[in-house]
Parts: sequence; structure tokens; C-alpha cells
Amino acid sequence: MTSQPFVAMNQIEKSFNGVPVLKKVTLEVEKGEIHALLGENGAGKSTLMNILGGVHQPDSGQIFIEGKQVNMANPHISQSHGISFIHQELNMVGDLKVYENMFLGSEIRNKAGFLNVEEMCRQTREILAQLGVFLNPKEYVRNLATSYKQLIEISKALLHKSQLIIMDEPTTSLAEHEVGRLFELMRNLKKSGVSIIYISHKLKEIQAVCDRYTVLRDGQLVKTDDMQSGNLEEITKLMVGKAISQERFVHEHEFGEMALEVEHLSSPGLFKDIDFTVRKGQIVGFTGLAGDGRTELFESLFGYRKKYTGTIKVKGKAMKITHPRTALQAGMGYVPKDRKENAIIKDLSVVHNMSLSSMGNFERLGFIQDKRELEKFSSYKKALNIKVANPRITIDKLSGGNQQKVIIAKWLEADTDILIFDNPTQGIDVGAKQEIYQEILALAKLGKAIIILSSEAPEVLRICHVINVMYHGEITARFMGDETNEEEIMHYATGAKREGEHIG
Amino acid sequence: MDNINTKEYSPESPSMKSRLSWLWSEYSVIIAFIIIFIAASVMNPRFLDINNQLNILMQVSIIGIIALGMTVVMLSGGIDLSVGSVLALAGVISVLALNASGSILIGVFTALLVGAFAGFLNGLMVAKGRIASFIATLGMMAAARSIALYIAEGGSVSGEVSGFTAIANNNVWIFDLPVLIFFVMAVLIYIVMHKTRFGRYVYALGSNEKAAMLSAIRVDRIKIGVYTLIGTLVGVAAVIETSRLNSISSSSSGAQYELDAIAAVIIGGTRMTGGRGKIIGTIFGILILGILNNMMNLMNVSPHLQGFVKGLIIIIAVVFQKRE
Repeated sequence: MTSQPFVAMNQIEKSFNGVPVLKKVTLEVEKGEIHALLGENGAGKSTLMNILGGVHQPDSGQIFIEGKQVNMANPHISQSHGISFIHQELNMVGDLKVYENMFLGSEIRNKAGFLNVEEMCRQTREILAQLGVFLNPKEYVRNLATSYKQLIEISKALLHKSQLIIMDEPTTSLAEHEVGRLFELMRNLKKSGVSIIYISHKLKEIQAVCDRYTVLRDGQLVKTDDMQSGNLEEITKLMVGKAISQERFVHEHEFGEMALEVEHLSSPGLFKDIDFTVRKGQIVGFTGLAGDGRTELFESLFGYRKKYTGTIKVKGKAMKITHPRTALQAGMGYVPKDRKENAIIKDLSVVHNMSLSSMGNFERLGFIQDKRELEKFSSYKKALNIKVANPRITIDKLSGGNQQKVIIAKWLEADTDILIFDNPTQGIDVGAKQEIYQEILALAKLGKAIIILSSEAPEVLRICHVINVMYHGEITARFMGDETNEEEIMHYATGAKREGEHIG
Repeated sequence: MDNINTKEYSPESPSMKSRLSWLWSEYSVIIAFIIIFIAASVMNPRFLDINNQLNILMQVSIIGIIALGMTVVMLSGGIDLSVGSVLALAGVISVLALNASGSILIGVFTALLVGAFAGFLNGLMVAKGRIASFIATLGMMAAARSIALYIAEGGSVSGEVSGFTAIANNNVWIFDLPVLIFFVMAVLIYIVMHKTRFGRYVYALGSNEKAAMLSAIRVDRIKIGVYTLIGTLVGVAAVIETSRLNSISSSSSGAQYELDAIAAVIIGGTRMTGGRGKIIGTIFGILILGILNNMMNLMNVSPHLQGFVKGLIIIIAVVFQKRE
């Protein structure tokens, strides 16, 4: 290869709110190379790419393009150096036509200043043809399948004469034959000297198309090497980290009666044929990669989504759950993921957030008793170690960990037998994480049935009795918590392996 | 209310400046009210006359009652444009019921029922039909006015039962009855919003609908309740409006009341997108509008220019409240 890489990111460091996300990461991409960027969720891949794309600024470190140092102060500078970023969520305007999307922001105009539609359509057709796609440039984008939108994004990158294209999980929405076409295209691009950084969890794909790989773990560079010299097993090990850093939390205790039985639960396009059971006192984990359908599954179970089929039995009784209220009455509580969007009510005070799901506990003759609310809150404040001086301030002023504890207090107050936690430690610092794990274990000991959804395999490994791995809406494997490891879970979560029928 | 103990939540010793800005952000409408009140008393000595003061209260009472309901709707994240038309419809039908039955009680009850039913339909459209509140109530605005016009054949209907006019024209001590009704309603709505779960749910829904639903709140029912509540309040306002002159006009009664009510709520500091705002704010908002109208009358400003001043005040209020 050439002596001078097309892009060199040197000793990049970045932290958010004092939490280091990238620690002295170095990445070099040669001209005409397909470079895989690997790592688990939260390893720092997107942050690194956002720095390259000019979205974030590094705290220290330099970026060189063809040997010249560049200050990527904003996305425009990045683009002008020939870098295109194709995000996982496509940025297309559905109500515009194909060519209008292609030329959005860089429209071709004729001498009079009007849009030169014919020229734009001609160029669009030309570029799409290079990809082997034949589309009417005047078709509205909203009428196209997702895979076409993906291809249009790539065409856009070509149109801007990009030298480096960053692709973030481009194949999640593509069918098998479309993936094949994409790979062929990537190889063609490579031949014409375009570099590609390819982010994906699907190791098989990476092996098929990439030249080299870089693995990040916890914000640190683990290894950069040629693709041929590594095998998949080894790379998985690198991503996960050999030493499982933390002890298992779980203490064995007797489980009680059956709390929740789910049979043949399906919802078109989201999940299919889900079976599992949870006993009182048991902690059951669900893990998988983005798009595995676990959140949708439990949103359905909790009555937030209604289009599903199958049976749900709570304490042996079949239930039709059509609204979160009926789920609560049946004895289910749900601590959702993405706290800011789904859990906290930022204009309400800390106390009022705590009491929201069980107002009946605080009423007398239909009127809310402020004093009772405050008393109850101070007992939770002590039990869960919630750090807040004045519980009457709005909840958005609390740190993430304390917000989460308030949400947990809300469901403890509702006193349900089954508790579902979706990504319970998302965006929470290490200390508060431990406290939340301990609280969850204490609840299990008290005889509550606990379900934990997590994108982080180590989390479910640490606290769950049983672990279900999901891939594309199906449970692909089920393990006892102490009989598996991260690598094995990764195999099933990436679809590299499946246990098929004989799970359980 | 919620932020009285400001000292505790900003432990890094609140500077004078941050305290002032807090005072302004929480109580700007009251400060604005005081400034306008003082300015008005300086500009025209007749303004402070007790009869003039009571007159202002009387004039704002009808819009005030509607604005209370509008505050609740806007706290839930919605808006109700149909209040003026529903007022006319409730007024026309209640006068017909009054004349037919000869009973004041039936007349009053009919007005409340018509208002509540129209509100319930609005709520149904918004909650179950998932129609944007702006559109749903815009439709109701046109439809209710049209039915009122049809029933009254485009004109006015007058009460034929003696004693009906007493509702709006009697005094208790020095206060006109409508003013007292407004105060009672304000206290009731305040209690509903701050002491019952319904009020708590309205704030939650307006702030974050998905989180409210995932907290096991029946969001749809709360929405229907909110619109039914404002409908009922419009019914109350319709009784006062009708009783004042013992007649109601199907074409002009209630025209543009929605604008004044929304203006009062906005001036009172309630956030357009819901979740944040106070009943107290709306009360001062309506008083500011009342004083401005009164001042312009006292100073012989052309009535054609009064809308201009009102518009200006709304925009100024919103500009100042934008700094969140």
C-alpha cells in the first residue's frame, strides 16, 4: 500500500461530561481500502466517526488528510475533504423526488437562476446506473423500499466525489441479494480509489468484504490488523475482552411459583414466536444487538403496542393486555429505556414523578395528600440512596442515575409482582450502576419476578439467572446465567450461530 | 408552589442576578400586571375608581371562565378553537329550553350539557380519532356556529322567563355575580389541577405523552376529560352571556372569544406545547387584557385600534417568556 494513508487520526481523545469515551485512539485508512471498525455498543465507534465527520471536536489529537493536518470544526469542512457519512438512520426527505434528494443543498441551476432539472436527472440516472440501479429520478423517495434509499445515500456520496465513505451498519435494512450488490459496489469503489470505513456487528460480512480491521473496546484501541490474519473467533474475543472483568452478582435462591408465561407471541415485522417463562424470584435477561426486537416485544407485553398475537399468562391466568394500565393491574411494571423520552416527565417534580403510577396510594377522598407523598418519597430516598436536596425540584435537574432511581421508586410504589427493566443502567455512572444491580437482586430475593433487557451482554451475565439471546425478532439461544460467556452470546446475537428449535 | 425553596436546589450560592431572573421567569406576569396597573393609575385618575375596578372584573369574567378551561387544554398540549361558537350554540339552545320549560334550572342545565357534549366530541376526535386538536376544534368551531345560526334562523333569541337576567345582573355585596362565579371556578380549577390525580395527569400528558402512557395513565380518557371540562366551562360562560342582556345572538355572540382566551393563557405564561403553566398566571393574564381594554376606553382610543394593542401585548409577552 502507499506510504501515506488517506486519513490518519492520531491519538484522539474525547470525553463527555467528564466520562472518557475515547482514549488515545489512532486509526489509519489507506487509499482504496475497506476498513472495518469493530467494537461492542458503547466502545466509542460512533464518537470516533463523528469526530472524523466534524460533528464532535476531539479534546486532543490530530486528524491528517493525505498528510496535511485538518481541523474538522464542522461537518462542512469534513465534506469538503471528500468524507461522506452514511448514517444508520437514513437522512432522506420522503416528500422530495430522487434527484431532489441527491442534489439537496447543491442544486444545479441554469444561467437564469432556475433549477436545471434535466441536468440533475441526467446525472442522477448516470450514477445510479453505475450501481446497477435503474430508477426514475422523478420518483418520490417515500415510495421506495429502504434498500433503495440506502443506495441513493451511497449515490449521493459518489455524486459529491467522496474520497472516503463511512458506512454505519448499512446492511441492517437490506435483503440478502441487496447485500451482495452493495458488496460488489464497494469493491468497485475500492478499485476506483475510494476508501470505505465499514461499521458493522456482522462479522461474516466483514470477513467477506473488508481488507483490514480495527477493534475498539471501552474507548481504547485494541488491535489493527489485516483481515486475513485473524479469524472470527479471535476477533470476537478482542471485541469482548478476554478477562470478564466483574464477578457474577447473582446469589442462588429458591424460585417461587410461575409469575409470567408467554407463548407464541408474534407481531409482524417486530418479533415472532416468542416463548419464555419467569418465576417469582427469578431474574431473566434478554440481550441482542440493535434491531433484535426485544424492546418492541416488551412494549407489546406491557400493552403499549397492541398488534400482537399469542398468549400471555400472569400467575397462571391468561390475560389480554391492551393498555399499560391493564398491564399494571395484572401486576407488571416497566422501567423503559431512553429515560428522557420514555420515563421521566421533566416538568413534574421528583416527588410527583415517583407517585405518578400509583396516585391511589396518596389520595384521601379524591384529594392528593402532599404530606403522604413526601413521606413516602423520603423513605425511597433513603432505601435507594437518591441524592436530591429538595424533592420538589423538577426531575430533569437530577443526574441520570438518580433519575433512574426515582423511576424505579415509582414502580416499587406501584408494587407489582413482575418488573421489566429495559437498559436499566443506560447512561449511568459506575457507582450508581452497582446500586441499581443490588436493588434488582434485593427485589428478586423478595420474590419479585424480574426481566432485564440489555444491549450489553456483560450486564445480563452479571445479574441474570437465565439469559435469552435475540436476533431479528427471534430468541436464538437460551442459557443458564452461569453456563455461558460473552463470546458465545455474541455468536448468537450476530446470527453467526443459531440453536434453532432445541433451545431451553 | 413548586419552586419556593429555590435556595436548596442551587446550592452554589445563588447570585442576585440569578435570583432576579428566577423571580422574573416564575412571576413575570404578576410583575407585568403590577407595572401596567401602576401605569394605568398614573395615566388616568378615573382608573382607580372602585366602580371602574369592579367594572373591569365584570368585563373579564366571561372570557376568564373560558380561559381557565383553555389553560387546562393547553397544559395537556392541545388547543380549543371552538369555544366562541360553542358558547353561541349553548346559549341559543338553553334559551329555547328555558322558554319551553319556564324553568331557569333547566335552562342553565341545558347550557352546561350542550357545552359539555360539544367538548366531549372534541375530546373524542382528539383522543380516539387522533386528529390534531387545532383541526378537530376548528371543525367544531364552524359546525357549532352553523347549527346555532340554523336554530336561531340567523338572528337572536330572547329569554321569556322573568328572573333569568338576575344571574348576570345581581350583586353580592359589591361584586357582580359573574365575578364571583369566575372566582369560584378559578378556585375549583386550581384545586382540580393541583390536588387531584386528574390535574397531575394533565401536566404529565402535556409534558411527555409517551412517558405518561408508559406510567400506566389512560391518556385518552384524560384528553376527553380535558375537552369536556372546557366545554362545561363554556356552558357556564354561555349562561352568563345570555343572562346579561336576556338574549343571545347566533351570529355575533362569542365571536373571537377563543382568541382572547388563548391570549390570556399565553400572557399568563403557559407553554404552548403543554406541561408547564399555572392557573394563577392565566388569571393575571386576563386581568392585564381587561385593564388594557379599560384604559383604551377611558382614553378614548378608537375601538378599531384596540385589537392592535392586544396583538402587540401578546407578542411582547411571548418574546419575554421565550428565555427558558
